[in-house]
Amino acid sequence: MPSQIQILNIHSTGREKSLAALFSRKQLANLKITEVYYVSVNLSVKQFTQAGQLLCNPVSQQNLNAKNIIKILSAYGKFKWVIEVRYLPGVTDNVGHTAEEIIRENLKNVKKSLSIGSALLYFLDTKEKNIIDAVAAENSNPLIHGITILSFKDYLKKLRSNKITDFNVKLSQKKYITKKINLNVSQEELHQIGKQGILENNKIRRGPLGLDVASLQAIQAYFNKQKRQSTDVEIETLAQTWSEHCKHKIFSSSIDNIHKGIFNTYIRGATRKIIKKRKDNFCVSLFSDNAGAVSFDNDWLVCHKVETHNTPSALDPFGGAITGIVGVNRDCLGFGKGAKPIANTYAFYFAYPHKNYDLYRQQNKKNPMLPARLIAKGVINGVRVGGNCSGIPTPQGTVYFHDGYAGKPLVFCGTVGLIPRKIKGQLSHLKGAQPGDHVIIVGGRVGKDGIHGATFSSEKLDPNSPVTAVQIGDPITQKKFSDVIIRELREKNLYSSITDNGAGGLSSSVGEMAKESGGFAIDLEKIPLKYEGLYPWEIWISESQERMTLAVHPKNVQKVISIFTQRGVEATSIGKFTKKKKAIVRYNNVDVMNMDMKFLHEGYPKFHLKTSKPSFINIKKSQIKKHSFKKELLTLLASPNICSKEFISTQYDHEVQATSIIKPLQGEGRVFSDATAIKPLFSSNQSLALSQAAFPRYANLDAYKMAACSVDTAVRNLVVLGANIKKIALLDNFCWCSPEEEERLYQLKKAAEACHDYALAYRTPFISGKDSMYNDFSGFDAKNNKIKISIPPTLLISSLGIVKSINDLTSICPSIKDLIYVIGETKEELGGSEYGNMFGYENINVPSVNPKKALKLYNVFSRANKKDLISSAISVHMGGLGVAFSKMAIASQTGMQLDLSRINLFGSANTLFAESQSRMIVSIKPSNKKFFEKLFTRHIINRVGECTSKKKFLCRLSNKDSIQVTVSDLTRAYKGNIKKL
Amino acid sequence: MRALIISGYGINCEDETLHAFTKTGFKGSIVHINDLIDNPETLNQFQIVAFPGGFSYGDDTGSGNAMANKIKNNLFDHLSEFLLKDKLVIGICNGCQILVNLGIVPAINSTTREVALVENDSAVYQCRWINLKVSKNSSPWLTDIKKMHLPVAHQEGKFMVAKSIQGELVRHDLIACQYIDKKGKLAKQIFPHNPNGSDMDIAALTNAKGNVLAMMPHPERALYKTQEPDWLNDNKTGSKHNMSFVFADGYKIFKNAFDYFK
Repeated sequence: MPSQIQILNIHSTGREKSLAALFSRKQLANLKITEVYYVSVNLSVKQFTQAGQLLCNPVSQQNLNAKNIIKILSAYGKFKWVIEVRYLPGVTDNVGHTAEEIIRENLKNVKKSLSIGSALLYFLDTKEKNIIDAVAAENSNPLIHGITILSFKDYLKKLRSNKITDFNVKLSQKKYITKKINLNVSQEELHQIGKQGILENNKIRRGPLGLDVASLQAIQAYFNKQKRQSTDVEIETLAQTWSEHCKHKIFSSSIDNIHKGIFNTYIRGATRKIIKKRKDNFCVSLFSDNAGAVSFDNDWLVCHKVETHNTPSALDPFGGAITGIVGVNRDCLGFGKGAKPIANTYAFYFAYPHKNYDLYRQQNKKNPMLPARLIAKGVINGVRVGGNCSGIPTPQGTVYFHDGYAGKPLVFCGTVGLIPRKIKGQLSHLKGAQPGDHVIIVGGRVGKDGIHGATFSSEKLDPNSPVTAVQIGDPITQKKFSDVIIRELREKNLYSSITDNGAGGLSSSVGEMAKESGGFAIDLEKIPLKYEGLYPWEIWISESQERMTLAVHPKNVQKVISIFTQRGVEATSIGKFTKKKKAIVRYNNVDVMNMDMKFLHEGYPKFHLKTSKPSFINIKKSQIKKHSFKKELLTLLASPNICSKEFISTQYDHEVQATSIIKPLQGEGRVFSDATAIKPLFSSNQSLALSQAAFPRYANLDAYKMAACSVDTAVRNLVVLGANIKKIALLDNFCWCSPEEEERLYQLKKAAEACHDYALAYRTPFISGKDSMYNDFSGFDAKNNKIKISIPPTLLISSLGIVKSINDLTSICPSIKDLIYVIGETKEELGGSEYGNMFGYENINVPSVNPKKALKLYNVFSRANKKDLISSAISVHMGGLGVAFSKMAIASQTGMQLDLSRINLFGSANTLFAESQSRMIVSIKPSNKKFFEKLFTRHIINRVGECTSKKKFLCRLSNKDSIQVTVSDLTRAYKGNIKKL
Repeated sequence: MRALIISGYGINCEDETLHAFTKTGFKGSIVHINDLIDNPETLNQFQIVAFPGGFSYGDDTGSGNAMANKIKNNLFDHLSEFLLKDKLVIGICNGCQILVNLGIVPAINSTTREVALVENDSAVYQCRWINLKVSKNSSPWLTDIKKMHLPVAHQEGKFMVAKSIQGELVRHDLIACQYIDKKGKLAKQIFPHNPNGSDMDIAALTNAKGNVLAMMPHPERALYKTQEPDWLNDNKTGSKHNMSFVFADGYKIFKNAFDYFK
């Protein structure tokens, strides 16, 4: 009986062409990729033929089988080797599931146990092992894929034998329901439990809990008082709930003389002060929900949340990134009564994609880090599939490269949501699970996916990390329940609370929601599973994706479940929220967990952190002897951090929902935008501007100034786009390293202090944030040397601002004859600059920001914009004036004649490339000169030239220095070469 | 006049498609495919059925294939009956892929698949604005439209058409729109003017009767000038103030449908 369906595209596909393009004709002349569907049950010949037809497009495809394969393939090449790439058991196989659904719908009497596993086959006409391995590496990841490489002959044998590798998960019978754990053991044993996990019957430890000895002692004391031993479910739950990922202990602990901790003092502290000073209703829901929200207009709120998914993306870039983006979408769906996601944002921090870092997690070249290029490629693809398949536009993003990300990429994923201020007369941002409400879970089923995910990201990436902790997203399942929640349930007021299932799974989401009612009681056996054999503790903490938890009044339970069912979404009642402040979990009526809610949430030991100022970092200061400013400018424009990211923008759908109004690419020259805007309501002209800023290269020089620059740039980018500075909100995402080092904590404290000072100065509140502390890599190089790579401390400030009317929006494209002005002061500040990075010219003068001056300047700019005096404007940051002028010229494809000699106070290199903050370049129509200059009389502005019809960029710097270059040369450089990932 | 917009299983452009129809005068309803399957006679209340863009079933097993299969099994007779009447159907992007997989377009000889939509030649998703010319055909959707500036956003947008079918398409005037370059000439499969490598630069097809339009570009995303790229610069001489709610090229398609029934 045939057990596999194989499909060939009769034409040469785009995927085949782009894979072939990675190799020369000599290396690999021909290749063919086929799709395979393995069928788990026996089908009759008729059924099999029918199934094959259902999955094959007769116009463009052909069914292959043992009989016809040689003949058909011979038309495409003389294939010698075959690579098969399929998912490992338990990894989400969306294609397989859809194929199964199609077959089931058509073959009515097919067995219930039918399941389909999908795979891809790569037929290659080479014998070269290194080429075959390279093709395999390009298209698979051993963590999630089973990879089989066979000679064509052996493959045919296998095909004829019709033996298929089992792709379904088969777990052995459960040996127990719960384990009693004796914590009255030596400190050494406690350390072992915390570091490597609970000991199983087979003497193997389960994997890291991430609990330190002090925490385990607190648990020991609690259960001694209860006069019983704790269960494994209880310890696993506490490990999740108390994890750094969930409780943010470093941000909340007292530090030096700051008793209330960094978060309360600096971040929330600033926001509280700002709310007091503002006398409006702009701030609505801050730091209390899955996302933070501000007023959009009288009828609508916007919420925003940015998350990171760094460790999962280091292991499985595609899976890590897709679950990152669809995960943060759920934060938005879980905001208040459920906000509709209206925009995604991304910020990627990668190692240089074409550099070979050769890193290993274990000695003797074992367990290698993926190459930087494949990490970048996988992450970019993951966010593409997650965002595009969910129908959420992704207009705003940024990408940055630095060697420090070689051991861990940073993957920031953000979502903006929109929700009516009131739903059925009630404020939509308020919610609360009521005692007696059912706990309803909707979406995907539970498997072993991502077990120990939350504790994992609180641990360094080292040889003992469980590399099985990866997940692959299923955006369509999420889209299905997202539609139900936003379009049907929300307006009917059918649930009292909602939250997403992220890190820590149900243990975290139910535990958090139950604070609203008092406590909870769950019956684990009711939870639908992907496969049998999961232990209760696994069901409870599994991070299987695409799930939400709702609190539903008993009278609405049937209605809610039937609406979900009608839309093809599984929904199940798994227990109740209670008034009693107890956290109870049962499995077939056996209590496997019974703790006080207070202990669950607050029982962890508090600690006090100390910091110490890092010693002065010695900077190599090399002087460039002879400058060629033209060459330097072109080199900088082409450098990975400055060049166009068009290849990402065009693969991220930024037009869906039809809201895009300032796009990620601007002008004829398609310049990558610092800030973008959407117009979320068809009926209103009010728009929402988004931007981001981070300066990782400043961090080790001066963390305070680094954060100041990030806030200033994130705010300025929006002001320049036309946002009202009084309607700007910020998000902070700290990605740090080695928090056990006091110097790193000092940097953290200083950065947070700057966040406080500058947010307060601009009165731009922080509304949400997140931190990720352990972004270090510990491993080995190819020569077995021990290596630790820490990321440069990276603070991403995301900003969102309201643009009152489309009339306020500005473009970065100047018109011919426009006069060009530099607004703001160019100081001696090349420290940490991209120029310094490119040319080894470093000093410690990181840009400093004078917030009072800056704020005044921004207000005057906005006034000029309101009066329609601005023809175009761009914010100046990485790469300085040289890059900013070039971007304007490239975008508009117009020439410029500039004279910067008047502002050349600290040398021509500094003038062109210093990254002094709070600066903008503005172009105006000559007729507006008088008005414009009058508005800025008391501020530092300089008219430096004009736009010309000749497509030449002419820039005089001093008597001896100048640049002459064509706009087409600038454009060519700016297009860069990182697109070949 | 009423337009039915289908939703569910990963379709995601229903809101903006509904807006396009209501803006041109229709009363519109978004109806979940499962509800329509349960009550297929609902179709009788509508003049228009729209299959919006999106990712039904995540494009798994080929874009549009799984949804077409679901429709074929559960709704095909009612849909076919609808097509025989004086009614209009549009499929945009994923909707276009569904219609092509259903064989409703081009439907030269029968309702089996005659053309295919396959992966872009670039192997990469393409979200960008392109230029189209309306080819010789009699579809009421395209009355009086010569050229359009619209966005595309797809991974599998390349029309693959066998040579023999190409001739038939021309003979029966079934090609609705083709990609053109900046000068207005056919793109000749050159990227980015032709964003996916489509045979004959095809961007949209109709059936012989003309009442079904299957198009890869998104007219519902180009209803207003302010949705176009660089609309701020297009208006250099004037001010931005008069740009608000000025219609763009996509509007005309929906307006044509309304005028057809008026």
